Amino acid sequence: MTAVERIEAEMPDRPARARPTPRRILPWLLSVVIGVLCVVPFLLVIAISFGRKIEGAAWQWDFTLANYQRFFVGALWPDEVTFLYLQQLGFSFWYAVIASLLAVLTALPFTLLLTRLSRRAQAAWLVFILSSLSLSEVFIVMGWDILLSNNSGLPALIKSTGLTQWLKDVGWFQTLRDWGLASPRNVKFKTSQFATILTMSYLVWPYAVILLYPALSRLDRSQSEAARTMGAGGWTVARTVILPAIRLPLFGSTLLLFVFLLGTYVAVTVFAAPAQHTTAVAIYSNIRGANLNAPFGATQAVILLLAAGLCLTLGHRLNRWAEAR
Amino acid sequence: MTKLNRRTLLKTGAAGLAASSVLGTPLIAQTRSLKIGSYGGYFEDSFKEFVYPAFTDATGIAVESVTQPNSTDWLVTMQQATAAGSVPADLSLYARDTLIKASRIGGLLKPLNLAAMPAAGNLDPYFVFEAPEGALGVGAMSWFTAMVINPGEVDVPASWADFWDSSIYEASLGLSRNYNSQFLDIVAATFFDGEETFKNDEGILALIEKAAEIKPNVALWWSAESQMEQSMKNGDVIGGQYYLDVANLMAADGFPIKPVFPKEGNPQDYGSWCLSSLSDKADEAAEFINFSSDPATQALMSRKIGTAPLLDQSKTDLTDEEFAFVSGTPSIRPAYEAYLDKETFIKESWDKMLAGA
Repeated sequence: MTAVERIEAEMPDRPARARPTPRRILPWLLSVVIGVLCVVPFLLVIAISFGRKIEGAAWQWDFTLANYQRFFVGALWPDEVTFLYLQQLGFSFWYAVIASLLAVLTALPFTLLLTRLSRRAQAAWLVFILSSLSLSEVFIVMGWDILLSNNSGLPALIKSTGLTQWLKDVGWFQTLRDWGLASPRNVKFKTSQFATILTMSYLVWPYAVILLYPALSRLDRSQSEAARTMGAGGWTVARTVILPAIRLPLFGSTLLLFVFLLGTYVAVTVFAAPAQHTTAVAIYSNIRGANLNAPFGATQAVILLLAAGLCLTLGHRLNRWAEAR
Repeated sequence: MTKLNRRTLLKTGAAGLAASSVLGTPLIAQTRSLKIGSYGGYFEDSFKEFVYPAFTDATGIAVESVTQPNSTDWLVTMQQATAAGSVPADLSLYARDTLIKASRIGGLLKPLNLAAMPAAGNLDPYFVFEAPEGALGVGAMSWFTAMVINPGEVDVPASWADFWDSSIYEASLGLSRNYNSQFLDIVAATFFDGEETFKNDEGILALIEKAAEIKPNVALWWSAESQMEQSMKNGDVIGGQYYLDVANLMAADGFPIKPVFPKEGNPQDYGSWCLSSLSDKADEAAEFINFSSDPATQALMSRKIGTAPLLDQSKTDLTDEEFAFVSGTPSIRPAYEAYLDKETFIKESWDKMLAGA
């Protein structure tokens, strides 16, 4: 008797086909739902990105790489070259990197202090922060829009306290005008990179706290205390004990917020000058009815996605490399 | 005047259905109705409150109001709906560029029977859009994008050229960000030969180059109407381009804004009634367009909605004061065809100019 024959002999008779039970069907059903809701639209975007725009009308299905070429060198190539779309992609990354770093770096000390409060106070803070997530982007941008407005916000405060006049007297006002942060009448924060990045980091700040909280609350405080008793100062403890212990969550949170911020639309439209607009804004301006160039919009979306994927992969590699050292 | 809105319409509709089930079918055949799209918000509300009830009183045709976000995005909706075989509105309101675009896409609009709407003959022929297959759109109302200033901060400029003066307007203006929102037409009328300049690429690039010179004076390149409204109210900008009717409403509410007709004039755009290719309400639509083209209705819209009439002031009973609130001279006619024929070229050149790339 060979091994195969023995195994076959030992196996009990089984029905020719497994009967479909709910437990077997459910995973298939879920796969179909996910496929229809996620994969199909995604494939559609990729397919549309190869479509062709008809001047003055809509677009049609096709297979052309012209949209991808346009992204890198512009529509008039080879007569003329423009890096407009690469510049927009650059601004997408620039805002997302700075705003996510800013959010995580400011949320870190806050969360650290939060974990040292009583359970009750911690719960209260966390509930408050979680509830602030219910505010939509539009609402937050509207709020900051008012806070930074000339007659009702920060510029009004600066003017009424005499700070504007003082800036003019000492000559610094001209510097602000050169930076685009003042009109001849008063300081202004709209439109500026300052307002854009501020609003974007405000947008994700609650996420930063919530992402960092589990790791920070599990920090073993006895390690810091031990370091302290050995004579380490506060800064040395933070640098050599706390930061290495939370490096992974810190890195992970920044990466997550970065990806989240890549698609920011409202804050950039309202607070950034057109010279500093991002790919997300350009996608919408192509797809909407004034232009009806869905293929080029889809192309920009695909490239944004690929670029984000590349960043995540690099981040992952970097992390593994740092781990191995 | 009874106020007709969706709710009461549904109620009367339900009552009608209930009655017809008792009395038999002929009653259903007698209720004629029409679904009409218009831009949502104040605009649509005014239509529902003043124009549609008057139409129903005059003709017995019930109107169901359909909300359009605007002209251009509605075209996307209607295009997809037409492909799917069922459209949300019989009549849509399209600005001229969208109408031309719809006619070029083809298959979206049904030619109108002009013989059934004699009042349309009152309108300036420019407002009746003829395509090879027939008339695809008849003007509904028009609106101006006017020069506006904050009268508390600056004197009334005599020309659009004054906006290029950085000693007055540095970082202080609000202009529209879209390439086809008529700022180039203003530049063409102010510094070049108007619509003629759009005829070739060099002319268009010269326009965009001139527009680039105003960039240091622009604090806000707005994409949504509300951004400009807020910025004028908040004092973030002290001038720019904005809709004449809304500017007048804001001024009437006491906000620091004054619309101006400088010597070159202001761009005038207009909306057209267009019938969906899938609609079977051609007769009702013709009756509505006929009603809408009537001088009395044109005057009613000017008074209640703030749009400019599509016919001479003398044909209406509008007073000079009422007319000045919604219209003015001269009017700049946008280079619609050029914006469409050279769409990608103008958009990319304009975006490059704004981005400094």
